[in-house]
Amino acid sequence: MRRAALATGAVVVLGWPWAVPRYFVFLASLIVVNSIVAIGLNLLSGYTNQLSFGHAGFLAIGAYTGALLTIHVPALPVPAALLAAGLVTAAVGLVLGIPCLRLEGLYLAMATLAFGFVVVEAILNLDWITRGNDGLRVPAAHLGPIALATDTARYYLTVAVAALLVLAALNIARTRTGRALLAVRESEIAAQASGVHLAAYKTLAFVLSAFYTGVAGGLFALVVGFLSPDSFDVFLSVDFVAMIIVGGLGSVPGSVLGAAVVTTLNDSLAGFQNYRPLIFGAILIVSMLFMPGGIASALRKLAVAGAAGPPRTGPPTASL
Amino acid sequence: MMIRAALLLVLALIPPALPASAQPPGVSDKEILIGGSNSFSGPLAFTGEQITKFGVDLYFKVVNDAGGIHGRTIRTIFYDDGYRPQDAVANTKKLVEQDKIFAVIIPQGSPPVMATLAYLEENKVPLLFPYQSSPETRRKRYVFQGMTVSDRSSKMMIDYLAGQRKLKKFAALYQDDEYGKSFLTAFEKDLGRFGLKLVAAESVKRGVTDVSAQIAKLHAAKPEVTFLVLVPGPGAQALIERQKIGWTDTLMVSTGPLTDERYLALAGDAAEGVEGLSLWPDPLLSDLAGVKRYREHMQKYFPKNGPNRYSIAGYFAAMLFTEGAKRAGRNLTRESLIAALESIKGYESGILPPLTIDADHETQKRGLWVRVEKGRFKPLTDWLKSE
Repeated sequence: MRRAALATGAVVVLGWPWAVPRYFVFLASLIVVNSIVAIGLNLLSGYTNQLSFGHAGFLAIGAYTGALLTIHVPALPVPAALLAAGLVTAAVGLVLGIPCLRLEGLYLAMATLAFGFVVVEAILNLDWITRGNDGLRVPAAHLGPIALATDTARYYLTVAVAALLVLAALNIARTRTGRALLAVRESEIAAQASGVHLAAYKTLAFVLSAFYTGVAGGLFALVVGFLSPDSFDVFLSVDFVAMIIVGGLGSVPGSVLGAAVVTTLNDSLAGFQNYRPLIFGAILIVSMLFMPGGIASALRKLAVAGAAGPPRTGPPTASL
Repeated sequence: MMIRAALLLVLALIPPALPASAQPPGVSDKEILIGGSNSFSGPLAFTGEQITKFGVDLYFKVVNDAGGIHGRTIRTIFYDDGYRPQDAVANTKKLVEQDKIFAVIIPQGSPPVMATLAYLEENKVPLLFPYQSSPETRRKRYVFQGMTVSDRSSKMMIDYLAGQRKLKKFAALYQDDEYGKSFLTAFEKDLGRFGLKLVAAESVKRGVTDVSAQIAKLHAAKPEVTFLVLVPGPGAQALIERQKIGWTDTLMVSTGPLTDERYLALAGDAAEGVEGLSLWPDPLLSDLAGVKRYREHMQKYFPKNGPNRYSIAGYFAAMLFTEGAKRAGRNLTRESLIAALESIKGYESGILPPLTIDADHETQKRGLWVRVEKGRFKPLTDWLKSE
């Protein structure tokens, strides 16, 4: 059953550009990019209970790094540019993660919120390289001799990168690091008592999260083709938080579903003009009321009810 | 088995090939469909709503009620981008590829417009009258610029002040972004023609309203003219601060995008005697025939919405589209629309001076000089030239 579902999923994902109008290929690329951010944010929030309202800032760093490399080093293959985008962003995540260790809950949210604004200001002030508010046009990236100039090419690039990152995220939970992170989430005191170095693992979560978001940023630059500080406002960070809450905290499939729902909603509500934020907010509230554990846990409950087996217990992360 | 089912599902989703049609996207026997991405949320939400619903749509209601253009009515679709470039890209792609619009009309803001420029050109979709002031849209085949661009505004301002009024010491308070900087560069260049330089220039970060330090520094430089290249909030604050410190021996001058009623209302009596370049006649008081008609139409279709320069900008954009589509005739295509717009010479709108569209594809090149008297902009000059 599970294998069949996976096979269907793979066929749909790979066949998508041939089955749907061009616009939905672009939209799907955006969903995939947002999924990577949501997984990254979930590594931080779902695993170690640290909520960030500054992920638009990480996305911006990755996006500008990737874009500037594509512009100034056109010979660089895309994977290298994306890796660089991830590493630069991870380095920033490390620098931000260390002071944030002392902060929790609301204070951490405020610090990360401020980080988002700082990044936008930095982009504005580094206008000799970022072109500030004029915005940066991102040319087509190259993979060997092939220019990724079409929506379909860019879609397959995002899917390939996302597949790697999803696999990695799914497997983190099975590693020593992943277990340590989960232990931190369940109880910091208990984790510490069991010999988990709290500061090191919390910082690691920040770095991992930033890396994912940075890679997503590099893809974002290629998919959208234009960057400006206005792309990375605070509402984008809030959208990312909404994705993991709607999808399910601590769940990789949930992150992907959440990203798909929020991105599609944002897109399909654009026609409601001034009512867009209102309708968007209302849908979020309703979905949180009726699916408190997110889509992932709601689906799990449905599956359990359908199989009429004994209800599974334990935290919703059991399927990670 | 499951895989085959999945393949069948995918195949079922493939749309059947559509019969080729002679008419371009967005044009049917009965209808012309145009649209755009605009701000309905975010920092420019008010402007966006006025431009589209109360401007573009207002004029098209009038046209449709009178029978449309060559038997076709006009329908519009507008999507919200909240001033985010990526949302503008998504909306524009959706409009072009899904909704199949004929042309994009009056999208707002430099970043969202710049983000879609290359895509629209590539797909040969006309981008009509974008509401932004960067000159980057100039001389592009599929683009017809709307708002007067910054280098033209600067030329009119300097020619008038340094040329006609023989003023010599200029300073500027500008917003620290592409809007402010493009004006600053243009001011320096135009002052250079008169052998002059800016004696001081102070910047204001976007979103900041406290400008007291900058005003104190500018005061110390003793300029005869102080340009305000700002948005309404800080623009009004600059006037209030100037009044507070009793700085009277400078002429404060607002740029085209700033010279609007909101800036006036925020500044209150501190705005008295301030001058500026206005890109539109007074939407409330002007007795130009076209502006009067605009007010009558607004009163008829949207009696609760007051006239303002954003809705008149949208109204004017729709008027210009209508003129182009009429000239293109019943056989309307994207190419015939472009040829028709390029053929517009000395067009009388009753709102702006006679309009001629040249190879630069700019539809607004003139402004008039105004001074604030008793809380209104009073014209001091006829339409100035920027050629």
